[in-house]
Amino acid sequence: MSTTQAISTREASGRAKPTGTQERRTARRNRLTSGGLLVPALIGLTISFIVPMLWMIRMAFNEGAGSGVVIETFTLQTILDPLTDSYYWWVIWNTFSMGVISATLCIIVSYPIALFLTRTMSRWKGILIAIALAPLLTSDVVRTYGWMVILSNDGILNTALMNLGIISSPLQLANNMSGVIIGLVQIFMPYAILAMISGFGRLSPQLEEAASSLGANRFTTFLRITLPLSLPGILTAFLLVFVLSISTFVTPRLLGGGVVQVLATSIYDQTTELLNWPFAAALAVILLILFGTVVGLYQALTKKLEGE
Amino acid sequence: MNTLESKLSLVGLTKSYASSIPPAVDRLDMDVEDGHLVALLGPSGCGKTTTLRMVAGLLDPSAGRIMVDGQNITNTPVHKRGMGMVFQSYALFPHMNVAENVSFGLQMRKRPKQDQERLVQQALEMVQLDHLAKRRTKALSGGQQQRIALARALVVEPTLLLLDEPLSNLDAKLRETMRTEIRQIQQRTGATTLFVTHDQDEALDMADRIAVMNGGLIEQFGSPRDIYERPRTRFVANFIGRANLIQASIDAEGEDQGEGLVQYQISVADHGRFLAVGEPGMAGTTRHVLVRPHRLRAGPSGSDAEGLRGSVESTSYTGDSISYRVRVGEDLFTAEMLTAGQDQLRVGDEAAVSWKASDALVLPEEVS
Repeated sequence: MSTTQAISTREASGRAKPTGTQERRTARRNRLTSGGLLVPALIGLTISFIVPMLWMIRMAFNEGAGSGVVIETFTLQTILDPLTDSYYWWVIWNTFSMGVISATLCIIVSYPIALFLTRTMSRWKGILIAIALAPLLTSDVVRTYGWMVILSNDGILNTALMNLGIISSPLQLANNMSGVIIGLVQIFMPYAILAMISGFGRLSPQLEEAASSLGANRFTTFLRITLPLSLPGILTAFLLVFVLSISTFVTPRLLGGGVVQVLATSIYDQTTELLNWPFAAALAVILLILFGTVVGLYQALTKKLEGE
Repeated sequence: MNTLESKLSLVGLTKSYASSIPPAVDRLDMDVEDGHLVALLGPSGCGKTTTLRMVAGLLDPSAGRIMVDGQNITNTPVHKRGMGMVFQSYALFPHMNVAENVSFGLQMRKRPKQDQERLVQQALEMVQLDHLAKRRTKALSGGQQQRIALARALVVEPTLLLLDEPLSNLDAKLRETMRTEIRQIQQRTGATTLFVTHDQDEALDMADRIAVMNGGLIEQFGSPRDIYERPRTRFVANFIGRANLIQASIDAEGEDQGEGLVQYQISVADHGRFLAVGEPGMAGTTRHVLVRPHRLRAGPSGSDAEGLRGSVESTSYTGDSISYRVRVGEDLFTAEMLTAGQDQLRVGDEAAVSWKASDALVLPEEVS
């Protein structure tokens, strides 16, 4: 716009007016307008996100004496404490493996659904997508309690299997890591489906038709065309479910029955029960580093996929 | 119909999606000779793409047979048909470079690595893009993508080359060049080709045979010259080129004019008797008579003037030629004439349109 305006003014006026100045002025005004629109969001983010985050990081450098006593100081000791304690390495490992396993399983079960929803020509497509996302309408607390009813020792699943004579003693499905993962997979499926649908942009039925017309059978077509082209969507979904899993507190606490210890539950214990805020902050910083590493890895991978 | 001699035969090929709507393709019969380029031409929704997709194996026919080299391939899955298809959107694999795209079909056929490299190189040379072998496909222009798609389809030496509106995404100028290029490559490789298009110029220019389709049926199948000069139905006459159609009763059959045509005396209601030509055996019926605009003459309507009398409704002057639109009763006739040496008519003038007997063709299609 600004270029054409500048050109037409020059032609109309016929003077050798330095059009560059005018162009620069328009561009500057545009920048100011778009910058101005960002101000409310920036203020909101600063108050609700950046300040608390900096405050939390600062807290991790204090020393906690327990029972709510915080010694204002500047030490690395609070962060180094969990890192020198094998228990917390076990907790970090639990967190990481829980995230990887639930994200992997979540993608395996969501991928066919996402693929179907992307391709279907049905006039019910909109409704089907809405149904796939409907679980988001209930909170994950409610859904976790639902899974407890289904998975516990005297729950629906075990009772049914025992009555059918398939098993003689109840399967340990709740109050351990498998229960937590079953719950997480189901709870995060809508996010995974949504992320994959939006990431399947390069996938088109014509590409698969082209591959099959060139002699690829269904399996080869899937392996050589469909899967590589859906990788960006899979990666995004993986990142999302991983991040949501390692930061969630409700499901590991309730379905884990106190046995499953991950960073989120440890942070909760330190904050509300042992009242050691600096230590809780240190654990949160470790969780943040875990996030950052995975996000960095994701970005490197997507860059490689797109750069191909 | 000798299925042994033709490369491709469609026998009663039908595709219907639901019993409540007419079939998309209705009992289609067609024979394609080896090495021919056949255009499936028609307006959108005429069933041409459906036919092509059935031949490719991407769509299951509801009834009928598809024969290639005398073999029934109706139930052969798409990946075993060995056909090369070029899609309207080119459908190049975005995660592979140009050479990988072209070699995909060879990889599927498990050709040795050296063969693959040599054949890919040859195919890229054929479309003059060998310098782009390592390029990403999205970095290519539309014309280049089109040529890569063609190379990818041809490198496997397909039994049939199938082109689905391959030129419709190119700009007008590039379309002309690609037309010639595709035709040259097709003739050089001798690949029997089925070509879907809605552009009559494209079909006339490129094809050995044209199948004009309408409503799931083939209206006429013949050489471009046949289709243009000897259309059999009103639809074909109107779809290929421009047409003046006159409804007339065909009175008496006259002498043989050669090329399977005889002269007819025809009479047009309220306008008297005229001459036309047509296939023998139509005397005593009512038919449409076709006169192309550049074969129709418009002149001042004096007392001795022959032809259909009417008045000039509009004129358009294009330098070399002038075209008059003359209203005769309810019909509007277009006469396109060279500007030189004519008495020019003006809008509102009384005029008569007339033709030489050999320029008026009685269409074999019965008037319903």
